[in-house]
Amino acid sequence: MEQELQSLETEARQNLQSLDDKSLLEDFRVRFLGRKGKFSTIMRQLGTVPAEDRPRVGQLANSIKAEIEKLFEAKQQLLEASPDGSRSHTGPDLTLPGRYPAPGKLHPISQVMNETCAIFENLGFSVAEGPDIELDYYNFEALNIPAHHPARDMHDTFYVSDSVLLRTHTSPMQARIMEAQQPPLRVIAPGKVYRCDSDITHTPMFHQVEGFLVDKNVSFADLKGVLTVFTQKMFKKDLPLRFRPSFFPFTEPSAEVDIACVMCDGAGCRVCKKTGWLEILGSGMIDPEVFKMVGYDPEVYSGFAFGLGIERIAMLKYGIDDIRLFYENDQRFLAQF
Amino acid sequence: MKFTLNWLKKYIDIQGLTPEEIAEHLTMLGLEVDTLAPLYQELAELKTGLVTSAVKHPDADKLTVCQVQIGEQSHQIVCGAPNVRQGLAVVVALPGTVLPGNFKISKSKIRGIESFGMICSERELGLSNEHDGIMELPQATAHGQSFINSLDLEDIFVEVDLTPNRPDCASVIGIAREIAGVVRKPLTLPVQEAEIAHPSSDFSVIIEADELCPRYAARLVKDVKIGPSPWWLKKCLLNVGLRPINNIVDITNFVMLEYGQPLHAFDFDTLAGQKIVVRTPRPDEMTFATLDDAGRQLDSEMLMICDGEKPIAVAGVMGGLNSEVTEKTTNILLESACFNSVSIRKTARKLNMATDASYRFERGVDPEGTINALNRAVELMVAVADGQAADNGIDCYPGKTEKPAITLSVARTNELLGIELKTEGIIDLLESIGIGCQLAENDKLTITPPSFRIDIEREADLVEEIARLYGYNNIPATLPKVKLSYPEQDSNRARRLALAERLTSIGYTEAINYSFISEKHAEMLNIADSDARFSPVRLLNPLSEDQSVMRTMLLPGLLETVKRNINHQKTAVKMFEIGKVFIPAGINVQPGEVMLLSGVLSGNRHGESSPLHFKQEPVDIFDVKGAVEFIFHEMGLGRIGEQEAIRFALPENGGEPFAEQQYALNIFAGEVQLGSLGKIKAEVLRRFSIKHDVFYFDLFYDRICDLETEGKKFSSLPVYPSVKRDIALVVADNVSAGELLARVRNTRDKLIESCDIFDVFKGAKIPDGYKSVALTITYRSETKTLTEKNVEKSHSKIVRLLSDEFEGSFRNA
Repeated sequence: MEQELQSLETEARQNLQSLDDKSLLEDFRVRFLGRKGKFSTIMRQLGTVPAEDRPRVGQLANSIKAEIEKLFEAKQQLLEASPDGSRSHTGPDLTLPGRYPAPGKLHPISQVMNETCAIFENLGFSVAEGPDIELDYYNFEALNIPAHHPARDMHDTFYVSDSVLLRTHTSPMQARIMEAQQPPLRVIAPGKVYRCDSDITHTPMFHQVEGFLVDKNVSFADLKGVLTVFTQKMFKKDLPLRFRPSFFPFTEPSAEVDIACVMCDGAGCRVCKKTGWLEILGSGMIDPEVFKMVGYDPEVYSGFAFGLGIERIAMLKYGIDDIRLFYENDQRFLAQF
Repeated sequence: MKFTLNWLKKYIDIQGLTPEEIAEHLTMLGLEVDTLAPLYQELAELKTGLVTSAVKHPDADKLTVCQVQIGEQSHQIVCGAPNVRQGLAVVVALPGTVLPGNFKISKSKIRGIESFGMICSERELGLSNEHDGIMELPQATAHGQSFINSLDLEDIFVEVDLTPNRPDCASVIGIAREIAGVVRKPLTLPVQEAEIAHPSSDFSVIIEADELCPRYAARLVKDVKIGPSPWWLKKCLLNVGLRPINNIVDITNFVMLEYGQPLHAFDFDTLAGQKIVVRTPRPDEMTFATLDDAGRQLDSEMLMICDGEKPIAVAGVMGGLNSEVTEKTTNILLESACFNSVSIRKTARKLNMATDASYRFERGVDPEGTINALNRAVELMVAVADGQAADNGIDCYPGKTEKPAITLSVARTNELLGIELKTEGIIDLLESIGIGCQLAENDKLTITPPSFRIDIEREADLVEEIARLYGYNNIPATLPKVKLSYPEQDSNRARRLALAERLTSIGYTEAINYSFISEKHAEMLNIADSDARFSPVRLLNPLSEDQSVMRTMLLPGLLETVKRNINHQKTAVKMFEIGKVFIPAGINVQPGEVMLLSGVLSGNRHGESSPLHFKQEPVDIFDVKGAVEFIFHEMGLGRIGEQEAIRFALPENGGEPFAEQQYALNIFAGEVQLGSLGKIKAEVLRRFSIKHDVFYFDLFYDRICDLETEGKKFSSLPVYPSVKRDIALVVADNVSAGELLARVRNTRDKLIESCDIFDVFKGAKIPDGYKSVALTITYRSETKTLTEKNVEKSHSKIVRLLSDEFEGSFRNA
């Protein structure tokens, strides 16, 4: 049997040596190393070997098998590694492009909206959505903008009837939520808003996210803190920003927030009108009149509110120069985000 | 608000501040600077010249050949102006100069005489419309100078975007007051505070509408010489874009810009009864001609300034033609008044007029500033127009009120702003802009806001003043200290966002269309007028016909989207939209808002994927059906099928009017319709100019959200192997595959794990009117490995059942 083993080894070596086609590897494995292969066939005779020889023959068999397996693996690697491991058959042209599926895309407005909401949700804000078609009361009166107030000029309003209109901002949700709930409140309200205005920087419909926080001892410094977190998460970590006094009838003090122009890094360009700053949101401490209107005591509670335009943020984030592109739903545009 | 830095300097010393620094200060005080630009840059190359000789052109009557001295050199220039003469100081554009309007001056020959440049008129310089002759510079003007320097035109223009709460800054003095707070220097005001010394007997003023006119003051200026304004006055107006008219009108405009108090000059001699009556119009006075020569329709609420007989001005908006100051005017009655802001706003709105005066009155003018502005204008009329003015006049002030004092808590201020200012610090800030403070109890200040700050009424308003003067950017940024609580989220919204993501994963791109569409869209989609979707919520003031009604469906917008994308040579359109539609609920009632989910599909199934790997084949009805099945499954509603709780059903009444009848399915849960899907009719597509097939689905998203979802639940993985058996059944054409499938699924044979259709085949060996349906059935037991015998028993039962019930025969596979 020892002899048989030796000659098997020789045979296997010779076979392996002349083997030069990948497709023949498997054939070799079956013939020599397989369950019904030559080696196993010899090994089945081990029982007939005298008991005292068995350990030695067994050892020899094992070492020969190990040797053949080693050689086989080496050959296998050699043939599989070489690009023309098989001379009779050419492999696929791997420079061809992959089978890329045609994915759909979320609208960039949805993407930026979701990102915006997520930042505030992570800060513990809840999300509420309200009606697109609002009552004059919630859109204006409850926000300290009575009829014939000059601040109404800031809103080019679409009317449906005398007292019903397309909301011009998401701020009505402040009044609606405060009317229905008691502080502490931490809410954002995303949605569509409408103004009759249409040009390269205005579309008659756009998206806003309103946010507000009401509690005891809320300060303007807190407003700055929260909005700083937001702008830096949305744009970049060390983005300079500034708070600038402004006016909204429903906040006092009111502030516009500017970020350093993301197009020119604050050096001054066409987009930022050479100022180096870009206005991205309006905010302020909620006006005591608004609290009174919903029955909160302004001596006890304070809070801040802000409203940001999603189109504006998306345009700055992605460098889009015409707001109307958002509503043309051109797949060539949508596929870019 | 527009002004220039030279104008500003008249009232406040701004030495040491660059224009940029001033702009930065104003912006950071809440007076956002929109424009900061040097003026007259386009005139920088122009020179002053002296006409040393002017000789008539030998070959042209109207031309003059001039020698113009400019510094060292003399230039020959041919000029056509009638007023050119020897000794005149003029403005010269030498060859190479580019005048406003991109007009380049070059050397030329005029009727045989060489001309080296042009002597300019005011219109050519863009300074006015004056073109009757060349501009005459003051006699003393040195020649050879830069024109803009010699006329002191060099200046910086500033435009501030005013917020509605700051009418006090609609004046150069108001702006100066804000700067005074920065530079901490006193203001220089043009006139001293004064009252009207004693009442005039030359005229009378009666205010009949007290509520609408808190104060009306007037003075008489006699014997004025109407003429062009002096250069300094013209310049001030020109610099801020106002057209000089004549000295009197220019003075009223100048003082309005200086003080923020609109003024009006009447030709006194046109006033009947030497009388001013402030009242609303009588029924026979409902038409009125304003200064702009327009006939205006009045109503009984509008406040008018009248003489003894008739209206002579729309109060606070515009004067009347009948009392206009003209070249012949000699006596001026000058009005300075304070009107009710809401009344002025309403009037201006109704008349569709917006003037510099109405802008200020709508926002509110300082009721205590009336006399100062009046006196200032009278002073100028005396100085500039040689008028005669007595020191009397009339001041009716029925609306005089004391401004209530405000109590400001220092602690509260610090708490609200998140800062730590001392009482003295607060006083210092407020007093820097003229807000006087008095110390009350330890922590409190008593403040009576100055009359010009009509916006300051409450403690919160003072807190804002303090914040803005302290500097918003000096306030720290902190995060609020709040009690931790888990924010409740709107689960429908969360599902919506998740579903949108899932739809993109199967190749659908999200569209967002306008909520308003064209009224014509309903008809384009064959919507019957009895259909609720035919009657939309209508906008009273739409931007265009195309956006005049609130949408009742998403499909019109999506079809427009399909058209646009096909026009852009897209070979595949696969889009969805989740959005609201609006259902009228009656006049002055908020309409209903319903969330829909719709999708459209057209062109290549594999989108823009390369034909290298993907077969180029068009989408069909099963693509949208599959998408709908996917949506329900993703929303946790399990399988949707003909026999399931949520089922597809052939429409009984022909289905949606825009869908092809043979390619239409409705989706129901019980009796509640959840939506439909199908193929859009070619006639509908034609109306949208779409030539390709379009498939759609249209789902009531809200209704689907209301359905109870199947929770996710684990079922044990099978231990024993399955056995698959196929059946090819030839049945009549009218037998639907779904019925076959449902029949197998409903046999309740425990061994049947699943059943699917893998082929439907017609023609070849199949007789006409028949089709072959190939089913594959998977058998499996939970307790053992199935034997051939076990399977055969079940399978033969199924085979028998199908052939009996559907009269089918078997084809050898």
